[in-house]
Amino acid sequence: MRKSSRSEIGDRPSWFLFERSKSMSGSCLKFGIATALTILSASMASAQEAVNADEMAALCHGGGLSTCVSATIPAAGTQAVQGWMSPDVGAAWAAGYKGKGVTITIVDDFSSTSRFSGNFGVGVQTQRHGEWTREEASMIAPFATIRSKDFSTSSAVSLAPGLNVLNLSYGMYAKAGYRLNQIGWSPEEASIISYATKGTAVVSKAAGNDAVAVGGVTGGQQDYLDLALVGKASAIFVGALSTNGTTSNKAQLAWYSNYAGSNTLVQSHFLVVGVTGDKTGLYGTSFAAPIISGYAAIIGSKFTKATATQITNDLLNTARTDTLVNYSAAVYGKGEASLSRALAPVAIK
Amino acid sequence: MRGRSGNRVSFRTTALLLYGLLAASPAIAQEMTTSLVDIHQGSPLSDRARGLGDGGYELQNGSRVSFNQWYRASWVDMHVDLLTQITEDTGILWGFGTGEEGEKYRIEPSLKLGFLTQMHPSANSTFSLSLTATIGGNLTEKPCEANYGDLGTYSVNCRLAASEMAPEETLKYLVNAKPESQHLWLNYRVTF
Repeated sequence: MRKSSRSEIGDRPSWFLFERSKSMSGSCLKFGIATALTILSASMASAQEAVNADEMAALCHGGGLSTCVSATIPAAGTQAVQGWMSPDVGAAWAAGYKGKGVTITIVDDFSSTSRFSGNFGVGVQTQRHGEWTREEASMIAPFATIRSKDFSTSSAVSLAPGLNVLNLSYGMYAKAGYRLNQIGWSPEEASIISYATKGTAVVSKAAGNDAVAVGGVTGGQQDYLDLALVGKASAIFVGALSTNGTTSNKAQLAWYSNYAGSNTLVQSHFLVVGVTGDKTGLYGTSFAAPIISGYAAIIGSKFTKATATQITNDLLNTARTDTLVNYSAAVYGKGEASLSRALAPVAIK
Repeated sequence: MRGRSGNRVSFRTTALLLYGLLAASPAIAQEMTTSLVDIHQGSPLSDRARGLGDGGYELQNGSRVSFNQWYRASWVDMHVDLLTQITEDTGILWGFGTGEEGEKYRIEPSLKLGFLTQMHPSANSTFSLSLTATIGGNLTEKPCEANYGDLGTYSVNCRLAASEMAPEETLKYLVNAKPESQHLWLNYRVTF
């Protein structure tokens, strides 16, 4: 077994950031790691206790730690609404509730040597894929506790007390055609799938960047993590729009984004959000999923007793379709996530 | 003297009338006369309640909720102030407020009681003092019941139901206000 990531594919421009993928090979289809890593349930620190990015890298590599502590998130201190964010976010911050009491765990690449540049409105930075997705989620929900889980370790993802949100801006690709019951998941993905099944964590999964239906075949491969999450209570597939939609300026699916497809189980758990790469230099559904993770944290900070499934359903049930070009469930699933509506009552008297 | 404010209607003659009564012929003081001093509708708390009606938000389905529907009243709090003259230079000030009620607030009725007295430091000067106290008249905002679907039904502050604030937290921001409970009025007049 080997684990790899693909940040650039084919003739797509280098600035295009594909979701990180952990490729699988081998006949037994066990998602594991060829180079065994010691699995430690290292304690995780909150964003407020962050060390700098280089220190974090050392922690990830040194001693074979499977879990990286949270690292410097330059933007978090600014807590400014950025141009790439939906206007909903600014409104959501007005009362000062920004994800407090909720833990977002970013399962991603925090240890590779692959870095790329972008700008979330706080200056150009060059960092790893996981550092980008973590920064984005923390900018949406700046009071949430952010954990970082390096996906190369394959150890089970642990949950924190209170509401948990897992951000998955990666896929698990292997040759197409296997049945799900043929797959032997590593403890990492097995734990994630279990949480989504039981509804113990909101799982925000990047839909993918191959312009196919979720779980579809591309280049002879499929994202089996997508397939494994279909129909799970608290899983949300997140596609990318090219802009944030409004009723007067409707948005359309980004050209690269995977779409919901004809499976109604996918449609009912598929959301889209604006990924304005023209402003950040960052494209891909990798940067759609952290927005939903941040939204879930903000909603969780309002409804402090809500379960992950309830938060998931709230986001899904309040998505807007009137902000999208030629809305269709097969393309946009439930529609564009609306934080303001997710926070509002169904009825009041 | 209070002027018109919003939909408040004032018919007051206020302090000038008070002066007129007390400076009138001593013969008047021989009888227990009661005079209307002021009658008006509206108050600072009425205005405040009306102000709560500014704004609104969208429900989950996008339909607009305006606060105005909750913070308007068919009857605006009316205040009647009277003066019962006891002696040539003293009188009892008294009165009442009717209160008002909207769907999500209530201003309770109020009673006003006090006195007015005057002295004459010199032949051409008058020093007047009045002290009144008001009982009741509190403004109380009522909560709403908000249905958040799967997330449950909560008692909330109607105006903050769509905010990020936890539903139970919004109740801390319900308005509970008291009217001016005591009023001291001093005046010195010299005629030349």
